[in-house]
Amino acid sequence: MSVPSRDLGRRAFLARMGVLGAAAAVPALVAPSATATPSALSPLVGLLRPVLAELSRDTLRGLVVMVCPGPDAYSRAQGTPRAEAGALEARGDDFMIAALDGFVPFPDQLATPLAAALATAVDDIGLPLPTGLLAPLFPPVWTLDRVLLELLENDEALPLSLVVALLLNVVATQVNPLALTGPFLAPFARLSLEQKCRAFELLEGPDAELVALLDAGLPEPLRSSISGLLTFLAGALLEFSAFGSYNEWGVYDASARTVTERPVGWQLSGYQPDGVVDGWADFIGYYQDRTEVQA
Amino acid sequence: MRDVIVIGAGGGGPVVAKELAARGLDVLILEAGPRHADPDRDWTHYENDANNPLTGFLRFGPAGREAPAWYRETPQNSFIWQLSGVGGTTQHYFGNCPRAYPGVFQGYDGADRDAYDTDHLFPFGYEELAPYFEWVEATLPVQTAAMGTKEQVFFRGCEGIGLPVQTTKTTTEDSFRPQQNAILQPGGFAGKVTGRDDPRLRYPQATGCTFCGYCMQGCSKPAGAPRNLAAKRSTDNSYVPMALTAPSWAAGGRAAELIADAVVTRIHTTERGGETVADGVTWRVGATGETHREDARVVVLAAGCTESPRLWLNSRLPNPNDWVGRGYTDHFFDWVIGLFDEDTGSTRGAASAARAEFPGRGGMENVGLTPGLQQFAAVFSDSGIRGHYANGRGQEGPWDGAAGRMIGPELKDALMNGVDRLLNILVITDDDVEAQNRVTLSALPADEHGPVPKVAFHQRKRSARTLRNREFVSARAAETLRAAGARKVVRVDWPPLLLHVQSSMRMGASDADSVLDANAEARWVKRLFIADNSALANSLGGPNPTLTSQALATRTAEKIFQTYFGGDPWVHAEAPVVSTDARVTAALT
Ligand SMILES: Cc1cc2nc3c(=O)[nH]c(=O)nc-3n(C[C@H](O)[C@H](O)[C@H](O)COP(=O)(O)OP(=O)(O)OC[C@H]3O[C@@H](n4cnc5c(N)ncnc54)[C@H](O)[C@@H]3O)c2cc1C
Ligand code: SF4
Repeated sequence: MSVPSRDLGRRAFLARMGVLGAAAAVPALVAPSATATPSALSPLVGLLRPVLAELSRDTLRGLVVMVCPGPDAYSRAQGTPRAEAGALEARGDDFMIAALDGFVPFPDQLATPLAAALATAVDDIGLPLPTGLLAPLFPPVWTLDRVLLELLENDEALPLSLVVALLLNVVATQVNPLALTGPFLAPFARLSLEQKCRAFELLEGPDAELVALLDAGLPEPLRSSISGLLTFLAGALLEFSAFGSYNEWGVYDASARTVTERPVGWQLSGYQPDGVVDGWADFIGYYQDRTEVQA
Repeated sequence: MRDVIVIGAGGGGPVVAKELAARGLDVLILEAGPRHADPDRDWTHYENDANNPLTGFLRFGPAGREAPAWYRETPQNSFIWQLSGVGGTTQHYFGNCPRAYPGVFQGYDGADRDAYDTDHLFPFGYEELAPYFEWVEATLPVQTAAMGTKEQVFFRGCEGIGLPVQTTKTTTEDSFRPQQNAILQPGGFAGKVTGRDDPRLRYPQATGCTFCGYCMQGCSKPAGAPRNLAAKRSTDNSYVPMALTAPSWAAGGRAAELIADAVVTRIHTTERGGETVADGVTWRVGATGETHREDARVVVLAAGCTESPRLWLNSRLPNPNDWVGRGYTDHFFDWVIGLFDEDTGSTRGAASAARAEFPGRGGMENVGLTPGLQQFAAVFSDSGIRGHYANGRGQEGPWDGAAGRMIGPELKDALMNGVDRLLNILVITDDDVEAQNRVTLSALPADEHGPVPKVAFHQRKRSARTLRNREFVSARAAETLRAAGARKVVRVDWPPLLLHVQSSMRMGASDADSVLDANAEARWVKRLFIADNSALANSLGGPNPTLTSQALATRTAEKIFQTYFGGDPWVHAEAPVVSTDARVTAALT
């Protein structure tokens, strides 16, 4: 497959210069516990977070409709609108965000340099900051990479959902440079299903230039672990999206330990028409009536 | 000072604990995960609540569910499916208990003797292990599986491709059969009533398997049954209750002590008479972070195929031939889905109650899953996305189109066809022991228990025999589904799913490529035995590993008792007590 060739080499070079990667990552690796005490955050950081969270959500919406398209704008945009409920009705996007940010035990020592390398790439692509979300107090010239830089300089561990979103968007613009502008906040969400699959092809391959870009951001001894990580991540993102979009999570009440309504995945699949059971009348007998066998 | 400390209460550890507690030894079992003493309180029948690998009550992580799961590095697309907690990974196993094929043992002389992983045979004969198979089969107990709709569909397919029926426990030829499984056969109203909160589905009006379909979420059925009478004989329902109640059912028995939420971080050794000898362990309490050290005459490592090598390496135990963690086998699974125009009952009954055998190549079994896991399994692929890209693979064969994951409308439509109108077949490959597939310590940050394991599998560089076997069985699976009436057949081409795990601390005849001797004692550390799947010499030819592991662990218990406690072996001389015995029940309640 031929990929529209934007110059990832230049980005890899920038990352290798260590503008962000080295600065952000090395102290964390040398003294992991020291990073537990957050530095005093700049007030800006608090304001930027929700902006970036929206970008993440928009990207993950584009992701989960890949495995369960529905009657929503994201499914329409990828070219597969459906009448019946889909991933967004099942809250697949919330599932992914909750999982990535709350529970994936992914070490910051890996996530932060990745984010730094991605910030460099974002700069080079010129990925715009989602407009309309920034309060007027932000300088209009601020770009996404400037924002990321601000966060990283403040020693913020970026939420994993954001790291994933940056990755998907960087790859999205590789696949289709025109995705830089359009509806939604995230270039990835603007892709057709076919283009999204090509983005995953780059991740899973994994694409050599992408590997070079990200590897450069990693400190030793983690260099060259990136290609394995990308193939793992690409698979895991799709698999986890599928699990979350078809299971009961979106309507589960943990305190009552029950579902509040019939989960989308159950509606779609006809699973347990009358809800949870203690048993099924499905015991037919024994094959050829044999109830035991000899050695 | 204990007689024996057992590390890990999964498939293997509790077997040694129960056997030696019955002999009157002072046994301590340390389990890293939660106790799960009261499934009615701790468990539900919801797949995300149960099986979410990050947050589920059946996951690999500390007892406190609010704390994150334990991170393990997998430098490839793959998924490690191990569980912490009493019962270990058997908490959600399917209870299938086929015996290892005779061809994977030393001295096998059948006509197909060259068809197996002949470089890595068990260092003794099949006949040697046979009495231990029988002992475990009687203890769990293992029975012939009851048949539901999805078994009927599977059998129809097997008949359709001309396979004969196997009616023995020992496999000798290509054949199919109901599973021999560690699931109590349905009795009373079990399997005859559909319902919720129906008194007929409570114990004792129902006994054994109620066909509830939640094997993957842990078995606590029939409702109201004492723990040792739950249908599925995961060790939390079988061997652990026996170990804890040993004096009640074994003359001279002594109750084992079980401590959960206790992660062993180090095995201690000392030099004695020119030998390195294990003499105790240190563990960390999850809830408090406190550490404890206790000495023992014998240490039994049973933390599983990924964690046993990790603990060995973190304890800086010797590794002169560099085989610690190597030779990891996984049955290089694949997954074939058939879509039908009729009811297949995929989500009803025990998760997998029918199988076919292809000695020398592997085997296959039917598997029913809940909707989220069904879709997870359909997307878990090393062959890219069907119709879009093949990731350098995308095999063609008697399935429809190229192998690969479904996506978008195709994926959704497959499930909308009906989760009970599809049938999955798990392809179980007889895979070779290969040095390249291994556990090492990760360069990623350590957790509170030390460096974490990194599990590397080179699925695209597996041996020619492994790859050939996988293609063979995948083709049989697709043909079986078609013969059963499937309208559409999809082969997914799974990356490694580490669920049938074997041989990462293998026993072997040669000291050049094994960690354990033929007694399952570590070659370089005396008084240290391994009693989980990692001790297996090879992948057994494809049969699901737990029964063989448990038979071997029983034999290991005898070796420990004979070698270090001056006792006599018992398996040849005595009759086993079944884990459903009324004395066990009485002692529990
Ligand atoms: C979905 C599923 C279905 C399966 N179905 C079948 C089947 O039908 N038949 C079959 O034969 N097999 C089946 N298996 C495989 C089966 O579960 C394993 O073979 C079996 O559990 C392996 O036993 P083990 O003792 O080697 O490891 P485990 O069962 O994984 O036990 C290891 C235990 O050690 C504990 N531990 C780890 N590290 C430490 C430490 N440092 N300190 C203290 N404790 C520690 C773990 O928490 C765990 O409880 C299935 C597996 C899965 C996931
Ligand atoms: S189907 Fe049978 S064995 Fe499985 S959980 Fe239900 S009662 Fe237990």
